[in-house]
Amino acid sequence: MEGVFERLLLAPMNVFFEKVMQFLPNLFSALFIFVCGLLVGWLAKTVLRWLFAVLKLDGFADRLGVTRGLAKGGLHDSFSSVLARFIGGFVVFVFFLVSLNNLNVDLIQTMIEKFLNYLPNVFVAIVILSLGYMLGTFLGRTVLIASVNAGMRISGLVGRFVKYLVFLLAVAIAVDQLGIGAEAVLVTYTIVFSGVVLALAIAFGLGGKDTARKYLEGKLKEKKGGEGEDVMRHL
Amino acid sequence: MTVADRRQDDSPTNGVNLRQEVRDQIGEIGEAEILVGIPSFNNARTIGHVVRAVQIGLAKYFPEHKAVLVNSDGGSSDGTMEAVRDAVMEDFGSVLIRHRIEPSFKLALPYHGIPGKGSAFRTIFEIADALGAKACAVVDSDLRSITPEWIELLLKPVISGDFDYVSPLYLRHKYDGTITNSIIYPLFCSLYGKKVRQPIGGEFGFSGDLARFFLTKDVWESDVARYGIDIWMTTTAVANGYRICQAFLGAKIHDPKDPGADLSSMLYQVVGAAFDLMEAYAEVWKKTECSEQVPTFGFRYAVGLEPVRVNVERMLEMFSLGVTELMDVWRAFLPDEVSDFLLVAREIPMEEFRIPDGIWADIVLSFALAAHRKLLSREHLLRSLTPLYIGRTASFVLETVDSEAEEVEEKIERLCQIFEVKMGGLRDLWD
Repeated sequence: MEGVFERLLLAPMNVFFEKVMQFLPNLFSALFIFVCGLLVGWLAKTVLRWLFAVLKLDGFADRLGVTRGLAKGGLHDSFSSVLARFIGGFVVFVFFLVSLNNLNVDLIQTMIEKFLNYLPNVFVAIVILSLGYMLGTFLGRTVLIASVNAGMRISGLVGRFVKYLVFLLAVAIAVDQLGIGAEAVLVTYTIVFSGVVLALAIAFGLGGKDTARKYLEGKLKEKKGGEGEDVMRHL
Repeated sequence: MTVADRRQDDSPTNGVNLRQEVRDQIGEIGEAEILVGIPSFNNARTIGHVVRAVQIGLAKYFPEHKAVLVNSDGGSSDGTMEAVRDAVMEDFGSVLIRHRIEPSFKLALPYHGIPGKGSAFRTIFEIADALGAKACAVVDSDLRSITPEWIELLLKPVISGDFDYVSPLYLRHKYDGTITNSIIYPLFCSLYGKKVRQPIGGEFGFSGDLARFFLTKDVWESDVARYGIDIWMTTTAVANGYRICQAFLGAKIHDPKDPGADLSSMLYQVVGAAFDLMEAYAEVWKKTECSEQVPTFGFRYAVGLEPVRVNVERMLEMFSLGVTELMDVWRAFLPDEVSDFLLVAREIPMEEFRIPDGIWADIVLSFALAAHRKLLSREHLLRSLTPLYIGRTASFVLETVDSEAEEVEEKIERLCQIFEVKMGGLRDLWD
């Protein structure tokens, strides 16, 4: 009876207890690593905030329109603060992964390994999106100012169109980088882009035929009589 | 360091490559005392008259000086260089009492580098340096009102050794030269303390030493190579202590439309060059307290001027469009009261539309400060000034529609005073 009790209850409990005793150091170690991560993350955030202030990163972000983009996205903090928080949070996240890995659980280790292999793609996608946003803002503003100076009434629309077109292209490339339905994204982008161009062509063709006629008539009259244009010398 | 010391130290660097044919021609000429340069681009229609006026001016007023006329062309396709070669004053006897003693020469050559007036001037400076010219003058190729007397007025103060730089003074229509009247003249006056009325006039006289000094500057890849050359030359002369005067030339009448001239690009290049010079000479203009008159030569007389056609309604449409679309861009650096004023002004009917001098000075100085602080891409910042400039020009036209020339000049002088007052604030914010 005693042997049965020992074999059925005590032995498994001993094994379980031994495993718990083996696991506990890993757990405490993981908790320690995580707490260290919190501290290092906080330190990184503080140091980076100071460094970004010295480098006047917010002024640079203002010039590129990043601050305005963040505000539109609901983030009213400065760009340097957001970036410092992001990097601080990332440091904490890395420590969290290391602490999980330290638990020596096969399932968790496999998942972490898969995640780490995928992580470079996420980084590249973030970089592509950031560059796409900055380039879109810059080109959109360039087109906006040029079209205002040319006296186009739809300057705002044209500027926004260029901005979002470039950003949309960046999104398509980023999604392709992440491997999420790469072909579907490309096809969707092509269809949307072609549709927009076709719609614009039809809209301009139908809506602008009178304007085009007036413009050409005006040009012909100007060539004949030289009327209708300023002759100011600005210099 | 005195100007004389600087002359000893300065030596031209990184010169342009003149073609062998041109070098041969310069070698044949050897030395010259006077050089007159004419930059051109598709000016076949008017350049013949300019060349003849220069030739007569040299023969009439400087017969005992060896002179060279240089046409520096930007690749004209309308036969401009041929027009220069063909422009000959066959009968000097009909305009001169006595014939010249020293020979005069004529060179017509294409310049190299960035297409623009500044690159054309650079070639002229190089040739002046190669010939050891003592006095130089440059005149625009689209002038219809140039007379031989202009050459005397531009060169005499330099030949006499009294001055290093001669800036022009013209009678112009009140709506002519609006970038000068509303931006460059008030800014130049208040920054450098010299009332040079046409700092970007286009016609200048200068000493050979100053031409060599210009060549020492590494600016030929910037806006100075284009329309920025005029303000750069005048500012460089004043800020480096060269002796400057003005010459009254009479009326300035030229071809109404500058070929290839786009307002936004002109404004970008001229204002961009002026802002760059503010960076370069910050230590000079920070010491300026008030502006003073500069010596002026020439007999002043009244002339009739050709009317200038202006479409104010279209200008106001451009201004209103600019305020509606670009306010987000300007908000980063314009004072709140200026932004608020602009938003109200776009709704005001044409008869009542005005941009007051104080607001305009605030706008120009805010743009200068924003350029200094690099708050925005330089291209975006300067090109976004165009609708505001157009609005200010419309306001100026509406305000002076019934004004005589003297009243208009008084108004421009008042604007200068306001710039001078506001400059104190800019000095405080600059560093």
